Amino acid sequence: MTGTETIMTRPVLEARGIVRRFGGITAVDRVDVTVGEGEIVGLIGPNGSGKSTMVNLLTGELVPDEGTIRFAGKDITGVAPYRRARLGIARSFQMLRMFSSMSVEDNMLTATHIHMKRGLLSSLLNLPSARAEEDEVRAKARDLLAMFELEKFARRPVTALSIGQQRMVELARGVLSEPRLFLLDEPAAGLAPPNVDRLIALIKRMRDEFGISILLIEHDMRVVRELCDRVVVLDSGELIAEGHPETVVNDPAVIEAYIGKGWSRRAQA
Amino acid sequence: MKHLALFAAAIALLALAPMVLGGHGLSVMTLTLTNLVLAVGLNLVAGYCGQFSFAQAAFFGIGAYTTAIMSRDLGTGVWINLPAGIIIAGLFGLVLGVPALRVKGHFLAIVTIAFQTVVYLTLVQWTDFTGGQNGILVPGVGETSILGIIRFNVQSLESYYWLTLALAALAIIVAWRLVHSRLGREWIAVRDDETLAQAVGVNTTTTKLSAFVASAAFAGAAGALNAYTMRTAAPDDFTIFISSIILAIMILGGKGTFLGPIVGAFILTIIPESLGEFSRYKMLFFGVLLILTITFLPGGIMQLVRNARTRRA
Repeated sequence: MTGTETIMTRPVLEARGIVRRFGGITAVDRVDVTVGEGEIVGLIGPNGSGKSTMVNLLTGELVPDEGTIRFAGKDITGVAPYRRARLGIARSFQMLRMFSSMSVEDNMLTATHIHMKRGLLSSLLNLPSARAEEDEVRAKARDLLAMFELEKFARRPVTALSIGQQRMVELARGVLSEPRLFLLDEPAAGLAPPNVDRLIALIKRMRDEFGISILLIEHDMRVVRELCDRVVVLDSGELIAEGHPETVVNDPAVIEAYIGKGWSRRAQA
Repeated sequence: MKHLALFAAAIALLALAPMVLGGHGLSVMTLTLTNLVLAVGLNLVAGYCGQFSFAQAAFFGIGAYTTAIMSRDLGTGVWINLPAGIIIAGLFGLVLGVPALRVKGHFLAIVTIAFQTVVYLTLVQWTDFTGGQNGILVPGVGETSILGIIRFNVQSLESYYWLTLALAALAIIVAWRLVHSRLGREWIAVRDDETLAQAVGVNTTTTKLSAFVASAAFAGAAGALNAYTMRTAAPDDFTIFISSIILAIMILGGKGTFLGPIVGAFILTIIPESLGEFSRYKMLFFGVLLILTITFLPGGIMQLVRNARTRRA
């Protein structure tokens, strides 16, 4: 893992030649993004570069005009968001989203319905088998809340927590759903510096202990440098650089995209 | 366990009502319990799943006409007609649920008003089948039995009251299980944030449809039984005004809370029926109360209860 391309393991996510237009604007133009098994890939770029559009294409909220998306070897290009979640793609949102009337614990449990093996009828009748399954999931949720230092808030209404804590609930909720791939959309946004350190440690654990592959959209370059095995840079909807974080941040094209043309010439000089 | 004991005590107490109430009082109580089933059902789709509906009286009517038409044409009894009313109303709930997948908020409200109107007009205009404005006479429940074991004769006002009480109790139990099951949590998830619900794997299409079906099925049950109590099914009992009353009951009590529509049903049925000669201004009363509630107490009576509790804590 030097400055050159890392050799990838089996890809979990493989997006090829993705194009998405809004009217006359091409928001994403022939972009390839792949995430290997157990890899943390950064997706960066200045505002309006097409990162958010790319995330929405990967989660299925948008459908690409061209290109294919494969997940775990399966073509998921036109598959609905809830089906992608069931296949093992979790996501967090740039603008925090919570089930605002639920407790922290119920917010988590809702993300586990996809794994419930007992039928709906046994849940409706409150059969012992369904209760046992629910208790098991509750225990798992408590363990994860402990990992995210939230266990004492389990029964609290989720809206009673600070934004930083809710961000942690969002991550815990994602991990509880046992995804293969977790799309993190600016998880450090609005976090105080000490919490950013905690976030970095937690994301590492998500990969190392839970085997979750991660696509990280992030503005905070420290987070990107410390976590990412590989970085993909977008500008005006096009992929302009790809590689190890340290190489990429020194790439003239990237510097130009972030701070403009004059600066890049001076930086090269 | 505490809940169950309180529930059993309340039902037992209500079962004793005929000992103290006269004919009018008992009719009001029967109406209260019918409204309770309608409002508890509406709360499933509008309160828990967040899909507004002005059509509860339409499903109420579909249940009532199921009893009336099946009694007339097939000669079936209450134990066939009641499940049939539930199923047929549930199927119509599915029909209303389909457009609800595409429209939200005010637009959905308008779609449900249209559905309510179409059902009402069908009941009035399809004279050969529905009896038109005069409706259809319904025979009494009469002598019947549960699986041939428990025999009873349903003829008196008391016996219709008890039958309605049994249905209300059953409706409350079913609603409790629904909202405390996985399905109920998914309804709430869709109400709170549809995008997030999809992102965690909830099929919002089937979730919404299931709420519409459940809600309509409750109204179908209430209608199928009410046709017996009233001995008739006539279109004017299933107008948008009735839908509005049920909506007012749910909102005043507290939508999205379990007790709200139950409390609301007692208050908003008993008070207007006690207005005596002023009862012709009933709709005015409902309208003003609804506006005041939505403006000043959007969480309804249950919000007051919750506020009082947190203040004490």
